[in-house]
Amino acid sequence: MATHDLTPRIAPNLDRHLVFPLLEFLQERQLYPDEQILKAKIELLNKTNMVDYAMDIHKSLYRTEDVPQDMVERRAEVVARLKALEEAAAPLVSFLQNPNAVQELRADKQYNLQMLNDRYQIGTDQIEALYQYAKFQFECGNYSGAADYLYQYRALCTNSERSLSALWGKLAAEILMQNWDIAFEELNRLKEIIDSKSYASPLNQVQSRIWLMHWSLFIFFNHDNGRTHIIDLFNQDKYLNAIQTNAPHLLRYLATALIVNKRRRTQFKDFIKVIQQEQYAFKDPITEFLACVYVNYDFDGAQKKMRECEEVILNDPFLGKRVEEGSFSTVPLRDEFLENARLFIFETYCRIHQRIDMGVLSDKLNLNYEEAERWIVNLITTSKLDAKIDSKSGTIVMEPNHPNVYQQIIDHTKALSGRTYKLVNQLLEKAQTQAAR
Amino acid sequence: MSSRFWTAQGDSDTEEEESDYEDGVERGGAAGESAPHAGSRYLQTNASDSDDSDGQKRVVRSAKDKRFEEMSATVDQMKNAMKINDWVSLQESFDKINKQLEKVMRVTESDKVPTLYIKALVMLEDFLSQALANKDAKKKMSSSNAKALNSMKQKLKKNNKQYEDLINKYREHPESEEEGDEDEEMEEDEDSGSEFEEDPSKIAMRSDSEEDEEDEEDREDSAAEVGGGWEKKMSKKDKLMDKQFMKDPSEITWDTVNKKFKEIVAVRGRKGTGRIEQVEQLTFLTRVAKTPAQKLEILFSVVSAQFDVNPSLSGHMPINVWKKCVQNMLVILDILVQHSNILVDDVVEPEENETQKGADYKGTIRVWGNLVAFLERVDVEFFKSLQCIDPHTREYVERLRDEPLFLVLAQNVQDYLERVGDFKAAAKVALRRVELIYYKPQEVYDAMKNLAEQTEDTENGESEAGEEPRVEESRGPPAFVVTPEVVPRKPTFPENSRTLMDILVSLIYNHGDERTKARAMLCDIYHHAILDEFSTARDLLLMSHLQDNVQHMDISTQILFNRAMAQLGLCAFRVGLIAEGHGCLSELYSGGRVKELLAQGVSQSRYHEKTPEQERIERRRQMPYHMHINLELLEGVHLICAMLLEVPNMAANTHDAKRKVISKTFRRLLEVSERQTFTGPPENVRDHVMAATRALSKGDFQKAFDVIKSLDFWKLLRNREDVLEMLRAKIKEEALRTYLFTYSSSYNTLSLDQLTKMFDLSETLTHSIISKMMVMEELHASWDQPTRCIVFHDVEHTRLQALSFQLTDKLSILAENNERAYEAKIGGGGLDLPLRRRDGQDYAGAAAVGGKWQDNFSFSQGRQGSSGVRTGYGAGGRPFGPGSSAGTFSRDRGGQSRGTGGYSGGYQSTRSAVRGSQMDTSTRMVSLNRGVRA
Repeated sequence: MATHDLTPRIAPNLDRHLVFPLLEFLQERQLYPDEQILKAKIELLNKTNMVDYAMDIHKSLYRTEDVPQDMVERRAEVVARLKALEEAAAPLVSFLQNPNAVQELRADKQYNLQMLNDRYQIGTDQIEALYQYAKFQFECGNYSGAADYLYQYRALCTNSERSLSALWGKLAAEILMQNWDIAFEELNRLKEIIDSKSYASPLNQVQSRIWLMHWSLFIFFNHDNGRTHIIDLFNQDKYLNAIQTNAPHLLRYLATALIVNKRRRTQFKDFIKVIQQEQYAFKDPITEFLACVYVNYDFDGAQKKMRECEEVILNDPFLGKRVEEGSFSTVPLRDEFLENARLFIFETYCRIHQRIDMGVLSDKLNLNYEEAERWIVNLITTSKLDAKIDSKSGTIVMEPNHPNVYQQIIDHTKALSGRTYKLVNQLLEKAQTQAAR
Repeated sequence: MSSRFWTAQGDSDTEEEESDYEDGVERGGAAGESAPHAGSRYLQTNASDSDDSDGQKRVVRSAKDKRFEEMSATVDQMKNAMKINDWVSLQESFDKINKQLEKVMRVTESDKVPTLYIKALVMLEDFLSQALANKDAKKKMSSSNAKALNSMKQKLKKNNKQYEDLINKYREHPESEEEGDEDEEMEEDEDSGSEFEEDPSKIAMRSDSEEDEEDEEDREDSAAEVGGGWEKKMSKKDKLMDKQFMKDPSEITWDTVNKKFKEIVAVRGRKGTGRIEQVEQLTFLTRVAKTPAQKLEILFSVVSAQFDVNPSLSGHMPINVWKKCVQNMLVILDILVQHSNILVDDVVEPEENETQKGADYKGTIRVWGNLVAFLERVDVEFFKSLQCIDPHTREYVERLRDEPLFLVLAQNVQDYLERVGDFKAAAKVALRRVELIYYKPQEVYDAMKNLAEQTEDTENGESEAGEEPRVEESRGPPAFVVTPEVVPRKPTFPENSRTLMDILVSLIYNHGDERTKARAMLCDIYHHAILDEFSTARDLLLMSHLQDNVQHMDISTQILFNRAMAQLGLCAFRVGLIAEGHGCLSELYSGGRVKELLAQGVSQSRYHEKTPEQERIERRRQMPYHMHINLELLEGVHLICAMLLEVPNMAANTHDAKRKVISKTFRRLLEVSERQTFTGPPENVRDHVMAATRALSKGDFQKAFDVIKSLDFWKLLRNREDVLEMLRAKIKEEALRTYLFTYSSSYNTLSLDQLTKMFDLSETLTHSIISKMMVMEELHASWDQPTRCIVFHDVEHTRLQALSFQLTDKLSILAENNERAYEAKIGGGGLDLPLRRRDGQDYAGAAAVGGKWQDNFSFSQGRQGSSGVRTGYGAGGRPFGPGSSAGTFSRDRGGQSRGTGGYSGGYQSTRSAVRGSQMDTSTRMVSLNRGVRA
């Protein structure tokens, strides 16, 4: 059951707080013994400030009312520190809570700083305190507060490093509050910074990208357009490279997104190559399924993999998201995946066959005969398939499909004129600018 | 005068140091006369009864002696003149001595020039060159003096020409700069040798093979006169040393040792300094050194003196000296470990009396020296000796057994450096260790490990035998600073060669400089390849971007790169990745200079004569025999890979064979073999592969496999059975493909069962292969599922259609070239290609570049790449299809252009670049060596 669970590989790339939803999911699916998960949760919480929560878990884990001394001490410490930070940040916070005062702020950062300093005696120390306070709020689990403060902080902060970490914090907070739209905006902002910033070593940059991709999983599989965006992000050369180098397990998500997304066929072939290359580094039923269909043309194998895929999707915290509809819940992604996967198999199968027995086909598609027939008729009527059913012999007969030679030649040359035109235009532009100089 | 000499002969020499000149003269005379039987004379003098044997010659001698006396007086004058740098009087003396020479020659009635004269000439020459070199002093000279100097230069040059041979001969035996003639020198040398035999430094001497035998003989003689005898025979310097050190050891002070040390070091490298002798003297000094620091300082000099023993760049250091050198290094480490307050440094010149601080001194003591440089030199010498020794002799094996010895040293040095915190240097040392290990498969590694453990046992025995001299030590001067063996003398190896490599390599990656890292990376790749970990090795190679940069590196690194590539190719083949294997190897074979590229022998080129200089340099780069990659295996694997790729490829494009060539080398060989009128049974590797090719192209996989199996290099593979099994499967697959390509036009349908039976393949595999061919549109056919048959479609293009397709292809290439040209000129704006490139590159060292894989490296270009090209050329037309965005377009181009440029095209350029750099870096090679030595 747990063999294909990626949580251990994903978790190190997430923020502590972001791991919680994953653990919750695992608890629900009961892949691991409850006790283990609760222990993991306590361990997570130990480094955060959510001491009360940790105490609750501890109680339920050991079924006692006693709480270890160090937790109690830690609680006191946290409260004390919270007080201290609150005080330090108080002037700025009160300023920000005053809507009239906030209106005085302008787009110009320097001006704002100057103004704050002159009129409210708020200097860099207080701004720094705001950051610390926000961070502390985040650690305590007060995500909305943290998000607000970090937003304000970013408006005032001049230190780019700090600003970056504030952005990470904001992203985490938005994800945890499940504000997918805002989170998506933050994600794009962060991505731009990561791509444009010059890092001390390329390794750091790769690492940042990997973090970003891991964090983005939350957004993409919850956001409405997430599945298109995930392809846009992951399939960029830089990000694909990062995946190949350090996080090949992310291929699962890209693969799923590509399968589910019908319009992205153009990128498919490249992706298949990537999967082939990374076979030794990462393998799971979803990538193996693709390999079966597109590399080995092993349709029986693909069949088996498809069944495994279903299991994997249900047990994946990102892919297996449930939608409650009335009394019963469905996993929309699973259904979509299976439908598309079936289509993939069938498509390829048809491409290399002239005549197919319906019975065999229904087997391969995991459908019964009637369903298969209906499914195929459906395809034929929506003109996705150029075939006829010979119901006497129980076979499907493909219409031979040979591209017209003239059409092919036209296709080949069609792009040429456009390209040449573009080239000439560019040359002319260049010449003009040079002449102007 | 003469009688005094002869009577004195019997007594002790020591009192008459001042009379040395006369001695010299007379002896010189004797030498001039009785040179032919110098040997017997030697015995006679030893027996000290020479007086009567020469009895009747006395009369003659007195006349002769007079001449010699005059001559030596002149020499004396010359010396004085030299001391005060008086060239005018020197010139006079020179003229005088030439006149005297004539007289002497007349008197002795022989045509042999007296050695005294030659010696004077040598002395003059040396002094002259010294004076000329010293420009400052020259400027200060008075005008007359300078004039004399110049004329002297001319005269001497002219004069010396006559005696060139003799001078050279003399220079070859410049054992001492002492006065006295050659013969005496020889005696002294030998005697001082035997004296040292008596000495505690016996061990050091014993291995001095050149003198060993003579010593054996002499020992008996000298043993008889140990009492006063050896003291008498000692060279002046040794006597001096005795006076200072031997007679009263307790009075030796730091100062005297230091003075003596400075004295010895000062003459280092001068002409006329005995190299071996210097080593001995220094070794002697180490025993009398007063403080650990001083001992250390002297030991450093000993080691560098030992390096000096072999002056030439191509020859190697005598093995026994090498061993002693390693021992000395170990002692150095002992001292350093024991006295952690001593710092070794080669940057700061230490204070004058730094080493005076005793063992109990607490502060840091700086001593000049560079452990790493020494260690590297030791390694270089080891490497050179293996290069020089004939690999088919026992000597070579013996020499190889010394490897653990070096590894111990390297390990200890590395440990020490790490402890001191000098990780940079430690990385360098680690690299040396890596380079001794990387080429060893696990079996060889185990053997080495066992050997190291065994030698430990035997060495214990030896060290017991070595106790003796230590006992004797008490008789001679005791070593003042006793150094216990702190550093382990036994190497420790982890179980697994991979573990060891990992440890070393990670240290290097963290701390090494660029070259060290690159080399370590290559070794790492090589080692992974040996262990059949192809994907890891490949990723390392790609991540490091080594194949882009290797052209700019030094030649030995390039060789290492080639070796790694060869090994990677073999590895790919073993794990069944034919296309990748071919990609790695084809590059090596494209120029037909494999031997040269791998530094495994010198290849003769018909068109390009090498100068002797080039040849020498190339010889210096050779890999020792035990590191060689078997060339037959390599060639066999390369050709088999090429065969597996080319045969179906040729079958697929019968009508247009020229268009797509995967391996040019293979095609050429095939052409040659097809041109033969009669084909005999295969003899060499090529013949075998060609025979197999013929069988395979007919679809006869069994015969093809049998022919290839009969090659005898398969026994070199560890998992021979598996590899052959893999090969059999591959041959079957390719036979199937070839068969389908060739005969598909003759069939209308073909059943799956028949094919599986024909090619002895499993049903699923056959199905999968054929399906793939259908999808790739290599085969115009489709399955008829209910009857399990392949139905072939008749969609051959007409000639006109085929030609028009070719035309469109050409057009698109043209358009592409235009775009490229534009980009190259302008730097690209609208086409966002360069941008992508840059992005790819900013991963240097970090990212395995997915897309770059194809661009940079053609090994995935085999099947995969060709399919990309196929779509480009053939029916697919993916790049130009509707809806393909600019992004995918430029990406495809990477793959496609590779295809169009052809394997050879792309490669040829890089190859020639490599070749070019190989040519002109010959000088760099030399300077590199120098760098190591310094």
